[in-house]
Amino acid sequence: MRWFEYLARRLLWAILVIISVSIITFTIARVIPSDPAAAWVGTHPTHEQIAKARIELGLDRPLWVQYYYYVRDLLRGNFGTSIHSHQPIASDIKTYLPATMELVLAAMFIAIVIGIPLGVLSGAKKGSILDHLTRLISIAGVSMPTFWLGLLLQLFFFGLLGILPIGSRLSNEVALNSPIDKITGFYLLDSAVTGNWVAFKDVLLHLILPSFTLATYPIGLVIRMTRSSMVEVLNENYILAARVAGIPERTVLFVLALKNAIIPTITVLGLSFVYSLTGAILVEVIFSWAGLGVYTTDAILAIDFPVIVTVTLVITIFYVLINLLLDLIQAALDPRVSLQ
Amino acid sequence: MKKHSLTFIIIGVVMSILITQCAPIPTTEVTIPTTEVTIPTTEVTIPTTEVIIPTTEATTPPEVSRKAIFVYAHPSDLPNLDPVGSNSNDSVVTSNCYETLTFYNPPGSADVLSPELAIRWESNVDATEWTFYLREGVTFQDGTPFNAEAVKYSIMKTKEIGAGSAYIWDSVNKIEAVDDYTVKFILSYSAPLDLIASTGYAAWIYSQQTYDQHPPEWFNEGHCAGTGPYMIESYERGSRLVMTRYENYWGGWKPGQFEKIIFDISQDPMILQQKIESGDADFTYRIPPDNIANIKANHPDIVVYTNPSFQNLLGFLNTKKPPLDNPLVRQALSYTFPYEQFIQGVMGDRATQARGVVPKGMWGHGDDLFQYSYNLDKAKDLLTQAGFPNGGLKLVMTYSTGDLDEQQLGEIWKAELAKLGIELDVQGMTWEAQWDLGKADPMKAQDIFVMYWWPDLVSPYTFLNGMFHSEETILWNLNYYSNPQYDKLIDDGNVMSGTDRQKASEMFIQAQQILLDDAVSLFFCDLSNTHLARADVKGFVDNPAYPHVVFVYKLSR
Repeated sequence: MRWFEYLARRLLWAILVIISVSIITFTIARVIPSDPAAAWVGTHPTHEQIAKARIELGLDRPLWVQYYYYVRDLLRGNFGTSIHSHQPIASDIKTYLPATMELVLAAMFIAIVIGIPLGVLSGAKKGSILDHLTRLISIAGVSMPTFWLGLLLQLFFFGLLGILPIGSRLSNEVALNSPIDKITGFYLLDSAVTGNWVAFKDVLLHLILPSFTLATYPIGLVIRMTRSSMVEVLNENYILAARVAGIPERTVLFVLALKNAIIPTITVLGLSFVYSLTGAILVEVIFSWAGLGVYTTDAILAIDFPVIVTVTLVITIFYVLINLLLDLIQAALDPRVSLQ
Repeated sequence: MKKHSLTFIIIGVVMSILITQCAPIPTTEVTIPTTEVTIPTTEVTIPTTEVIIPTTEATTPPEVSRKAIFVYAHPSDLPNLDPVGSNSNDSVVTSNCYETLTFYNPPGSADVLSPELAIRWESNVDATEWTFYLREGVTFQDGTPFNAEAVKYSIMKTKEIGAGSAYIWDSVNKIEAVDDYTVKFILSYSAPLDLIASTGYAAWIYSQQTYDQHPPEWFNEGHCAGTGPYMIESYERGSRLVMTRYENYWGGWKPGQFEKIIFDISQDPMILQQKIESGDADFTYRIPPDNIANIKANHPDIVVYTNPSFQNLLGFLNTKKPPLDNPLVRQALSYTFPYEQFIQGVMGDRATQARGVVPKGMWGHGDDLFQYSYNLDKAKDLLTQAGFPNGGLKLVMTYSTGDLDEQQLGEIWKAELAKLGIELDVQGMTWEAQWDLGKADPMKAQDIFVMYWWPDLVSPYTFLNGMFHSEETILWNLNYYSNPQYDKLIDDGNVMSGTDRQKASEMFIQAQQILLDDAVSLFFCDLSNTHLARADVKGFVDNPAYPHVVFVYKLSR
């Protein structure tokens, strides 16, 4: 019952946050100087075309009426139509979101695989050369601008070594000769499920540089958080008891200590995931990764407000839901956390 | 314990896959073929023989060699592939899929137009009735025949929907299919319909069967229904669009022509440059101007095409608000801009000083028109005549934020005006804000409005009418210029352009001289387009009437 009440309360707050964000973005989009009707028509519209478009788009109605129709359509799964492409935004999001999710999940995977072990070892060997080196890596990770790192990686792995592609999700040859049957939009998954190993290998190669670029910030955060938690946990009496009892050091570190030290890291990972959704914008542009970032950049350049508002809303929903999920996980893992 | 071991095993396996997959990327074949089949670059004559290669039906499609694929590294998305609504960069695709009745030839051609889906055309004396005789033996990509009914349907449907550049058909009142291959347009007022029919937007002829069956979204998902040489095979929005040959194309196919086209979309100019340099792409544009010289010097396998476009950069002067309501002050301003310095220092190869409104290369351009030059002494004289011997003026110039060329133009000009005691406030704002301000009350609007103009329809009238014809409610005449004599001259010229293009051209040049005398605007420069192509691609001709479009059917490797 306690869980149910907590969940209901948090969901109510989440809905309020989403409504507030939708009102703010919608109002900003309508208030700042722009003429969506003129943009809808084309390059050199006539008065008649603009007037017609204004009626078609419902821009002649009062603002609150426009908002009412906007919310009504949203609840029906209709996110509106892009002014730039005249495409339904829901269909665009469906196309672009899997690409971004694939990139972000790959980055999170790298952050976990590299960040947690390094954080654990750094915490266990506090003050050692490994610890100093790891701290250096984590500081570099959180402070290095992604656009700079991305360019550097492109220059080194594509320009100099020629072993990794410079950008895009798939090479032209593979797209033409071994096309991927799109099931989920996650190329790695789709190619693996359909046994298209030529495409799988190509997708994996294309994923390495952008996902690593995007992962540098979460890697740094995960290392720092895991390290500090480990340092704290390793001073606990139960760890001393385990060591006295002769339990192998590897088990002490990666099982007994990490189990308690991982909780703050999970929170950081969750927040990094949402951060990466917006951080992916730059990475996607640098690596020509056709995801939500590229889509949003196009929308911003074209002042395509329906798209900008929708993407903001989608990211807000992700943020709110992941925050909620993290709190629930934390409460489940840590008995000290209260649901009140 | 077991759970943790399993996690580490999974992580280990995935990591090892990652490492083992890090093999070198398969290199793409970019060797220049020893035999080169060259196709005539300008096809302005009606083909006497129409060779149609029969469709070969293979059970499994053969792997297409890189040599037979034309890869266009494209710097932006392809937003709208609906033949009615397409009004942007998407014309690079639609131009290979759809065709128009007439084709606007590149500058330097003997004729302005050449036949495409119409083999010939004629009009009555006052250009209010036009008859087009259509090409026979043409089919749409969905197999339906191309005929007079198809033309009637396409144009009337485009006009009815009214999206994009559909207003080009405004003059059309009625279309009659005289017989299967003759179509007659009856206009409500005189217009150069042969020119209108060549437009790269809103003039496509498409299949009624397909268009009636599908909404515009279907086309945007990557489908087309034209008579052109290539069909859309697949489209991943934001990534790549693949086109393949339409085997029954009326022009037939010859050895050496490309089998497929890939539009490889990358917004990052550095990726575009890497792709053309490595041979992954055959064609691109929007490479940073500073890198072009380096490419020219170090890449003999890349050809750089720099040609005039039909786009120009102008500075509209507010003719309603003091002090620029005085023609002498406007003339003085026209002498204060350092044209050569700006073009050499900022624009480089990308521009030449404009001579009048109509860009060089377009009919109606006047090579002998007066051209203002940088002359501060002359400017001072004019200011003295106007009653401002020591300057003392404050002017506001607006430009579109983010456009570095416009920004630098403002800064350079500001320094020059300061020498005459004129203070120029250079204000960058979003295009929407700039346009909103411009459309508001002229007395409260900016003094100088800097912007680009390019034509939807390749006619001088779109420049002269759009920006300078009197307007009751301001839309594009951001000079707020009103001159009945000028209005009459260009309107008459437009009527004349349907029947006597030479005479119309003279009238349009005369109209431009009026604008120059009245110093309505500063005509800074005509812009050039720079395109890069691999040297083994033969037959590319830059045609500013269809910006950045490559008619791949005319190319070979």
